[in-house]
Amino acid sequence: MTSADRRRAAPRRMTPRATALAAISAGLALTAAGCGSSSGSSGSASPATAADKATTVSISLTPQGCAPKPARVTAGEVDFNVANKDADAVSEAELRTNDLAKILGEQENLTPGLSGGFALTLQPGTYKINCPGAAQSRWTLTVAGKASGPAWQSSPQLAAAVSGYSSYVSQNTASMVTSTQQLCAAIDAKNLSQAELLYPKARVFYERIEPVAEIWGNLDTDIDGRWENPVTVQSQFLGFHRIEQMMWADNTLTGASQMCAGLVKNEQQLLSLVRSASYNPLEMASGATDLINEAATAKIDGEEERYSNTDLPVFQANVDGAMEVVTLLQPYLQKKDPSLLTLIKRRDAAIAAQMAHYQASPGYDGTGYVEYSTVLDTQRRQLSGTVNAFAEALSKVSLRVS
Amino acid sequence: MPADETDSTPGRPGRPGPSRRQLLTGAGAAGAGVVAGGLAGYFGRGAADQAAGADGAGDSDQTVPFYGPHQAGIGTAAQDRLAFGSLNVTGGTSPAELRDLLREWTQAAARMTRGALVGEVTEPHAPPLDTGEAVGSPVSRLTITLGYGPALFDQRFGLSGRKPAELAQLPPLPNENLDPASSGGDLCVQACSDDPLVAFHAVRNLARLGMGVVEHNWMELGFGKTSSTNTAQATPRNLLGFKDGTRNIKSEQTQLMDSYVWAGAEAGQPWMRGGSYLVARKIRMFIENWDRDYLADQQNVIGRSKVSGAPLSGGTEFTAPDFATAAIPADSHIRLASHEHNHGTRILRRGYSFTDGIDPQSGTLLGGLFFIAFMKSPRQFIQLQQALAADALNEYIQHVGSAVFACPPGLRPGQHWGDGLFA
Repeated sequence: MTSADRRRAAPRRMTPRATALAAISAGLALTAAGCGSSSGSSGSASPATAADKATTVSISLTPQGCAPKPARVTAGEVDFNVANKDADAVSEAELRTNDLAKILGEQENLTPGLSGGFALTLQPGTYKINCPGAAQSRWTLTVAGKASGPAWQSSPQLAAAVSGYSSYVSQNTASMVTSTQQLCAAIDAKNLSQAELLYPKARVFYERIEPVAEIWGNLDTDIDGRWENPVTVQSQFLGFHRIEQMMWADNTLTGASQMCAGLVKNEQQLLSLVRSASYNPLEMASGATDLINEAATAKIDGEEERYSNTDLPVFQANVDGAMEVVTLLQPYLQKKDPSLLTLIKRRDAAIAAQMAHYQASPGYDGTGYVEYSTVLDTQRRQLSGTVNAFAEALSKVSLRVS
Repeated sequence: MPADETDSTPGRPGRPGPSRRQLLTGAGAAGAGVVAGGLAGYFGRGAADQAAGADGAGDSDQTVPFYGPHQAGIGTAAQDRLAFGSLNVTGGTSPAELRDLLREWTQAAARMTRGALVGEVTEPHAPPLDTGEAVGSPVSRLTITLGYGPALFDQRFGLSGRKPAELAQLPPLPNENLDPASSGGDLCVQACSDDPLVAFHAVRNLARLGMGVVEHNWMELGFGKTSSTNTAQATPRNLLGFKDGTRNIKSEQTQLMDSYVWAGAEAGQPWMRGGSYLVARKIRMFIENWDRDYLADQQNVIGRSKVSGAPLSGGTEFTAPDFATAAIPADSHIRLASHEHNHGTRILRRGYSFTDGIDPQSGTLLGGLFFIAFMKSPRQFIQLQQALAADALNEYIQHVGSAVFACPPGLRPGQHWGDGLFA
């Protein structure tokens, strides 16, 4: 199965309609992020200002129960601080839906003397605080105010992550256009050796943000398609990999100028699309996993850069693109699931340790890495194990940010 | 007297027990739960029921208890299908991470073997906790058996002092040409079920839970059991077309199980007492050559009649072979492998037929016997395999993969794999 097939089989991350909705809400998110650091002086009930400050609810675990203080808060981000002074029989507080069916957040294992907490973005409604073992184990928490848009917009940290990601995507796309234009210039000058040095440099920008480009299905195929995708027809084989094939396999630049100009045109179209698009945290997270899935499949077996053997720098670009998402989400994850964040970082470090073996200066075609065909099967398998472990940990982010 | 009253007379001699279908029908009526409970002896763990389940006919929702003095999947009546995973612990894994994984595996195995999913598949924004392919498939007597390979006891996890003296890579043995890609492993997971999908699902999900801590070394699927392991099971046939396991230890023979299968005080390591050593050998059969051999020679190679399974010395399948007669040739398989020929040594065989498809070079079938045997000490296998150096069957087979694992004893609820090892 080609990676393009895999892409087609995957559920769409973002439908055109979802894109439009996200674009509208992104304006609000940016507003929220912009004033997130100020102390929220406005009394308006707009979603942007509701997100402005996190409300704190204190819960003291006692033998009698776990009354929330206050018992009525405004919709948006709510920090729950839970403390157990001296209740031997009570050690946890859960926030559940009013019908008790679902646990939304919890702090467990609070023996006397310990405290902890959790944070949630809450929509208006009635919730239950549950503390098994207390005389009265269920207490009501009322959330008033207006329902905000997607819950993540009420979190300044998620909103900041999303706007940071928009910038990252735009910057990389713009850099790709510039560096592809340099590649085209070398091709136009019939300078094959220079073109070979410039090809992998342009590739890395795309490989950091590829899941975004995949939103516009045909554009991804026109920029990054392989011979077997979409139709195994040479005349429809366009973009980076057709140029790669000409330079390394056919050993000619005949027709490459025209091909490269077409590539730039498609990239410029992508640039105008990404500048007006916006994203949400779930898309960021699943996109990060997709990038690593790409690395684990199309890069490990050398499929993607089959003519040039420049797989290692684009492999690293996939990892970098995923880690950018993690870095942007870090302030949020640090609060929400610090152990997951630690695990992701450790597994990223394990990849870095592996990749260090293949670094070279200036490296194959100036990439900073050795030629991928020199990486043995046993080494590839080791790299694959590391990258799959990283992807597995990354795949758990989506739940945290949804 | 009306007929139905006659039929309801309790304790009527010669009356067969109710069928499973009747029982289920009855369960629909009010209060029938009590009746069903009272009749559970007929269907719960009775020998007749085990036989039915063993043949894979009906009773596919039958479960094998996960907890017990020994791990399930050893003395358990051999299920029809196998998924066997050999895994290595990934570099840089800490002892605590390995121990946490073994705990997680225990919980997942306990759930899967009672027919539950590993975890929920309903959260829309998370990858489903269970991979899902076994949803709706009856549990089909799934057992999951864990083993530790010799390499696990190197310096990595501080376990070198816990290594049983018996646990080591097997020495070079006759008629082997081992492929490292089908050999060894830090850990093994043997999943057996009467449903291949259920067995595969178990190994897949355990490996997934372990991603980052363990990685696949190799994996084998077995599509037909080749040994009966209790007296209620009919003797199955291997790909040679012969009955296999006629003289196998049967799990009801508790004295033989204690003497030859379960590790005892001699294991040296308290955590291994009640466990068993698993020897896995991937044995390729050159079945095209075998199929061209004439019947009488095939029978001489094995030492038994192909159709009836009776020893060539006469009688029926379960007649003891008379090795005093020349009817069973000196180089026949059953003579050389017999306990009579090996100072009484026996093992519990629990293997499966396998195929890996077609050999790309020769175009012949890559398949044969994925031999699994359990024993008190790997020395038992070594002794038997050395005795098979002269086996006439060697012309038609070759051992291409090899691994040995120490399977710890069973668990009580609340205990976890690794508790004894890391204690």
